[in-house]
Amino acid sequence: MNRIQKKIWMLAAVVLVIMAVIWITLTYYNQKTQSQYNDILQRYLRMNEVTSASQHVVTDLNNYLLEPSEVNLDKLDHSKANIRRAKDDVQQLKNTENEFALTNYMNLIDSLIETTDRSLMFYSESDTEASNREFTEATRISKYISEMTLTLIDTELKTYDRFYRGIIDQSAELKKLGIWLMLLITFLLLMITYWFSLSITRPVQQLTRAANELSAGKFDKEIKVDSNDEISFLAQTFNRMRININNLFQEIQQKAQLEHELQESKLLLKESQLRNLQSQINPHFLFNTLNTLSKKAYLEGSEETSDLLVNVAGLLRYNLKWLDRSVTLRDEVMVIQQYMNIQKARFTDRLTLNMEIDESCLDVQIPGLTLQPIIENAVIYAVEPREDGGVIWIRIKDSDERVMVEVEDDGPGIPEHKIQPILAGEVVHTDGASTGIGFTNVVKRLRLFYGVEDVMEIHSRMGYGTKIIMKIPKTKGVEQHVKANDRG
Amino acid sequence: MRKAGIITLSLLCIILCYFTYITAQKAFQSDWELPAASTQKEERYRLVLITQELETPFWDKVGAGAKEQAQRDGASLEVWGSYGKNQEDFLKKLEIAIQSKVDGIIVQGLDTQKFKDLTKIKAAFYGIPIITVANDVPKAESLRKTYVGSDQYLAGEMLAQLMLSDMGPKGNVVLLSDSQKEYYQEQRLKGMREVFSDYPNVKTVYAETADTREQVIATTQDLLNQYPDTNGFIAVNANIAGAMIQEIGRRGQVQLYHIYSFDDGSESISLLKSGKIDGMIEQSPEMMGRKSVNLLIKWLSNEKVPLDADGYLSDVRILKAKD
Repeated sequence: MNRIQKKIWMLAAVVLVIMAVIWITLTYYNQKTQSQYNDILQRYLRMNEVTSASQHVVTDLNNYLLEPSEVNLDKLDHSKANIRRAKDDVQQLKNTENEFALTNYMNLIDSLIETTDRSLMFYSESDTEASNREFTEATRISKYISEMTLTLIDTELKTYDRFYRGIIDQSAELKKLGIWLMLLITFLLLMITYWFSLSITRPVQQLTRAANELSAGKFDKEIKVDSNDEISFLAQTFNRMRININNLFQEIQQKAQLEHELQESKLLLKESQLRNLQSQINPHFLFNTLNTLSKKAYLEGSEETSDLLVNVAGLLRYNLKWLDRSVTLRDEVMVIQQYMNIQKARFTDRLTLNMEIDESCLDVQIPGLTLQPIIENAVIYAVEPREDGGVIWIRIKDSDERVMVEVEDDGPGIPEHKIQPILAGEVVHTDGASTGIGFTNVVKRLRLFYGVEDVMEIHSRMGYGTKIIMKIPKTKGVEQHVKANDRG
Repeated sequence: MRKAGIITLSLLCIILCYFTYITAQKAFQSDWELPAASTQKEERYRLVLITQELETPFWDKVGAGAKEQAQRDGASLEVWGSYGKNQEDFLKKLEIAIQSKVDGIIVQGLDTQKFKDLTKIKAAFYGIPIITVANDVPKAESLRKTYVGSDQYLAGEMLAQLMLSDMGPKGNVVLLSDSQKEYYQEQRLKGMREVFSDYPNVKTVYAETADTREQVIATTQDLLNQYPDTNGFIAVNANIAGAMIQEIGRRGQVQLYHIYSFDDGSESISLLKSGKIDGMIEQSPEMMGRKSVNLLIKWLSNEKVPLDADGYLSDVRILKAKD
């Protein structure tokens, strides 16, 4: 944590260090140059001091010779001490270039002092002439010292010429260095600041973009922020939130879908019932009437008619009774047999029915009244319109996980362009000959019941017949679906 | 686009770094070393060579020889002096050298009272050895330790003989000297007279002149007027040869006269090369320089005490114009 703060501190520290380094360097350099200047000045000052000190000696000597008092002697001693000190100072200026001249110079000073002393000595011995001679010599030596000072300073200037020029050049270079350094630092600081600000603002921008997308409802895009500070932490949290919201959202959608499907299946059921009710004219009345008719036919010796009536009554009862619940395939097959008995009575020889039924498959659960509408269709299209009748095959076979129910006829077939809409569950306008519950109704109900899309295949060749295959899962699909939801 | 930007920025950065580095190097590097503080604690001999004629070919060679030898022997030597025979300046330099208590002085002898006073009294007082070089001043008068240079008497003889062999044992010869009457000139003259005295048919005229150019010209004019049948000239002081020849050339053909001189004048070599001088005595200035320094150091280090007061003579040769 505290990464952003750390970064800011780091930037400040870098700037501070750079400034400190430059300041220290320049100060150090300045000090160095200053002391060099001082040294140089010192040299000249010291040499100059010798000249004036030597002149003082001569003046004081003169004063003493003219007026030999204690004060003047003190003065003379003082100036002699001065010139000795000046000599010691000059001694330090010795270097390889001026060694010879400087030694001469110092010896000259010695000579001056000696001559002065001699003059004093002669004076004290009252040898005025000798004393004066020595004084003249001292004056001359003092003059030589002045001249030599100038020569030395001149030599000095020549010797140090390169040095002085160096200093001037260096100060010019220093000015240039200042400019370059400023450019370099400006550049570097701009770069560092840019990089630094980017490292803060880029994650923020990414986060902003992600937030925008999230607010626009795109929950499936992952939020990724390439940074290692608080923003990244924020982004991770944000991403987790997005995933949670996304999951919740999907769950709600699934539930809504499920509800929608349930609603739909209920509607379909209602529709079937309504259709059925429409076709029931007071079913109990009809039912009782049919039974009475059957008894009557039986009593009148027409057993065949009586059976037919019983079949019709059974069919009717089945219709009323099982429509809204699941039945076994066995019940369906029984109804179909009753139905076919009635149709046989109607079409006699024109209808040939072949049934191949695998008894082991008949315990499969199936929504009520699913087979009958299909067979009714086959009868309507393949048998009814044809003078010479038609053949209908019904096969129930076991196929691993599913039970295959095939209804085949040798009728005119279904045009290719109609097959798809039927399977897709769209309402197909038929010519109204069917008893009610349509083909599409069956498809939808099967799908809803098993929760599987792939429940029916239609194979048809124009002029040769149609084969409808219902693929019924052995386990009930809704249970699977519920289980799947529990797991999710 | 981005890549190009990065490359440009890095290049810029490198360039800036480079220039900053270069200028920093220049600004902080001090290649101008100050002269090293004198490290030599052991005292080296401090010698001074003092001449009256600085920057003449002859004395430049003496100075070069002396410096070479001084370097070899580990002594420090400086050449001081005056220009154009400025005696006052020369003597002042000599006095400064004495007052500066140098270890030894090599000096071009000057045959004046003041010079002798300085060398005899001052130098002796400070105990500074003096060696005369090229021009001698007798030991008794100057208390010099020794003399290094040509045997001027021999040089005079050689020049006179050269003249005789060129001119034949008959003729009039003018010997022009300067009025200083310096010791070395006297020696030369002595040598010449010695030779000419053996030839009665050779008449010599001795003349003196002050050493300014105008005076030399005037004297030469006089001589040419007085002795129109002169066959040859000898400039005893090499420095007056130039002015003398100039005057002779103005009056007639220089080639007609036999003119001889010495090599220690500032114009000597060029006069010889242009053929105006027929011959001259060539001395060995480098050797004089070397030898004098060598002797002085030997004396100082007590290797050779005392030095030969008569002097150490260097080679003299005859140099003839190639005509």
